[in-house]
Amino acid sequence: MLGPIAQNLVFGIMVGGLYGLAAVGLSLVFGVTKFLNVAHGELLMLGGYAGFWIFTLWGVDPFLSLPLVVVCLVLIGLVLYKLLFARMVKLTEENKIKNTLLVGFGLSLVFQNMALRLWSADDRGITTAYSGQALTLFGVRFPVVRLASLAIAVVTLLLLDLFLHRTYTGKAIRATVQDWEAATLMGIDIHRVYLLSFVVGAAVAGIAGALVSVGYSIEPAMGLEWTLIALIVMVLGGLGSIVGTFVGGLVLGVTQSLTSYWIGGTYREIVALLIFLVVLVFRPQGLFGSKEG
Amino acid sequence: MLTVEEIDAGYKDLQALWGISLAVNEGEIVALVGPNGAGKTTTLRVISGLLKPSAGCVLLRGRSLAKEPAHRIVELGISQVPEGGRIFTGLTVLENLELGAFGSNARKVKDQSLQWVFGIFSRLEERQRQRAGTLSGGERQMLAIGRALMSKPGLLLLDEPSFGLAPLLVEQIFQMITEINRQGVTILLVEQNVRAALELTQRAYVIENGRIVGQGSGEALLSFESVRSAYLGSS
Amino acid sequence: MTGKRIITLVLIIAVLALLAALPAVVSRDSIINMAVLVLLYVALASSWNILGGYTGQTNLGHAAFFGLGGLTTRLLWLSAGWSLFPSLLAGAGAATTLALIIGTPAFKLKGVYFAIGTLALGQVLNVTVGDMFPMITSLPVQQLVSYQLLPRYYLFVGLAVLTVGTAYVLVNSRLGLGMMAVREEEEAAESLGVSAFRHKLLALVVSAFLAGLTGGAFAFYHVGYYPQFLFSPVWTFDALMMAYIGGTGTIIGPIIGALFFVVAKELLALRLVEIHLTVFGTLFILVVLFLPGGFVQAWASIRRALVRQLGARGVRLASRRQAS
Repeated sequence: MLGPIAQNLVFGIMVGGLYGLAAVGLSLVFGVTKFLNVAHGELLMLGGYAGFWIFTLWGVDPFLSLPLVVVCLVLIGLVLYKLLFARMVKLTEENKIKNTLLVGFGLSLVFQNMALRLWSADDRGITTAYSGQALTLFGVRFPVVRLASLAIAVVTLLLLDLFLHRTYTGKAIRATVQDWEAATLMGIDIHRVYLLSFVVGAAVAGIAGALVSVGYSIEPAMGLEWTLIALIVMVLGGLGSIVGTFVGGLVLGVTQSLTSYWIGGTYREIVALLIFLVVLVFRPQGLFGSKEG
Repeated sequence: MLTVEEIDAGYKDLQALWGISLAVNEGEIVALVGPNGAGKTTTLRVISGLLKPSAGCVLLRGRSLAKEPAHRIVELGISQVPEGGRIFTGLTVLENLELGAFGSNARKVKDQSLQWVFGIFSRLEERQRQRAGTLSGGERQMLAIGRALMSKPGLLLLDEPSFGLAPLLVEQIFQMITEINRQGVTILLVEQNVRAALELTQRAYVIENGRIVGQGSGEALLSFESVRSAYLGSS
Repeated sequence: MTGKRIITLVLIIAVLALLAALPAVVSRDSIINMAVLVLLYVALASSWNILGGYTGQTNLGHAAFFGLGGLTTRLLWLSAGWSLFPSLLAGAGAATTLALIIGTPAFKLKGVYFAIGTLALGQVLNVTVGDMFPMITSLPVQQLVSYQLLPRYYLFVGLAVLTVGTAYVLVNSRLGLGMMAVREEEEAAESLGVSAFRHKLLALVVSAFLAGLTGGAFAFYHVGYYPQFLFSPVWTFDALMMAYIGGTGTIIGPIIGALFFVVAKELLALRLVEIHLTVFGTLFILVVLFLPGGFVQAWASIRRALVRQLGARGVRLASRRQAS
């Protein structure tokens, strides 16, 4: 009886790490710039396809190709920011959120449709030589690939946390989250901070997407679900704390996993959405939630 | 050192400043006094580049700041302590101070600046590891001023440093401002606490409804009849 | 002003006459089907516009109302053996009930949170329906044999007229004024005694009722589909894009948007493979960034420029005549 529960717990934690990673990118961008980029899930999708094609065409191991995926997403992030999002920096906060939401929305359509035309609607996944391997501990299976993905997610988040707390640029980003005008008075060029956050957010989404393509599967229409997951985790974890976001991801992953064990697979998404709606209604300021301070 | 010439400025359709001119010489403490909503803060925002004027210009040592974005103006030597301090409450005291030295030149001498600021505000040294949000009102103001000093400014703009502080603390803060000025930092001070401001400064400008309506030495303005009746509550 | 009114009236009558006469003029089913599509989108985009455009509440879960209307109508009409109009009304009633249930919690959410909340809500229904009704729903054989396009076409004509008419009457009433006040400045509206919540709820209910009716009409029209299809976020996104491209917060905007959407989609599909969503997505982004009022605004500024030009020329002509 306990065995399957423990197994589902482990699977939940593994997928939860990726949820955390997906949410951290969105949360960083939203916290700094107040851009609500609902095409975040599509960035994840692009990262997934980048990893998939690098593996399929050149046979590069998906974990080794991560830096290449990051480069791709950095470029995409740069172009999107310069072409579209930079135009919305000067709007009032409310209009900024609304317009970026709408633009993100259009972008998600464009990316989804392009991916569908270029790469077909098929589910894709990376199968390496070691994909089937798993460690077994007390009767609980730990698939190697997902274990490695979780480790990479944790390392990425730790590095990001170090960057935000230990470097001058990171501190400038945190200061901008709190009060962009006061940050300007420190001599911080907030446009550069915005650009940097946006690009880092895209890169982290790319890593998450590539990991999804290794441990799970990707398809052109996956974006909306992942955007919603990232939003849910962002609300659960509160803004401004990477550890909080990561824990929020784990909570969601475990909840989903246990739900599908007890109630049935199709309800995993519904449970997540219901949690989200409840949190949203009872904490309407949710997304701005626990700012630092 | 600083010359403000015939500035018009405002927000959207609302013009807040009408032909403001003032000058601050090297080493001075100059006050800008006036009632609430007269345009004092707006004037500081124009000088520090947060708000671009619709007419007129700001010159720093003869150089126009018209095309400089706000973050560059800090590097050119003007540092502003905004109203209410606006410290980064989620960051530590030390991190706040480090951010004050964000510009590349200031960053090179960060450690010396830190010693200098700790010399003036010893309380900040004791609390450097704390989160700034845990500081008391007076300490927050000290941190805001200390943070602004970290950029090694030639000119310090202070917006209502006495706001919301107990009288004893106000006196302390004003003593520290005098000390900072004695160490070579030119100061432009915006205050509602007119008496204290005028006692502190060599010269002052009086601003009303977005226009400069009077200027003179602090002492002269103290005896200036309309200033007395309007702001000092004595007839 | 009255001259302008007469022109508008004549135009409306002409459009209605054209719609009524269309089947007599063209006999090809493909054209009628395209017209049905335009009318469907006119109704869907106009119903979205009541809440999204006029009241300023970006509803990203509109498909839920459309889908619920369609699901209910189809079930009652096909499985329970109800006749068409009661089924349609019941479908619209189901959508309205959903609106009333979610209204109170949903409008606790302001601005963008409302948008995200409705997006999530739409997905909840989408996934649930996909799970509960996994089988394709097809018209039974006797229905297929007697399937007639024309009644369905006229149903959609009536639906589009009803939707646009309701929107017109609503936004030109005191209630509509209140809705727009809420959109512009919620707090200011409240301080004038306009209850933001009541006006939003009214807009949501009317919008949901009409969307439910549209879904029902679609269920009557379409031969076979998966029930989940009606709940797909695509319906929301299409309605939103059409309203924006045409011009939100105007009566004519969603109509122009729908017409443009369907016609351009057909033309694009002829020339290029299915990339129309890429094109529309791009166009939508451009409209949001550079032309927040959509085609309606573009037309207004073009006309203003033309009038100014013509006016200037008129003055020049007049002065030249005087000089000579």
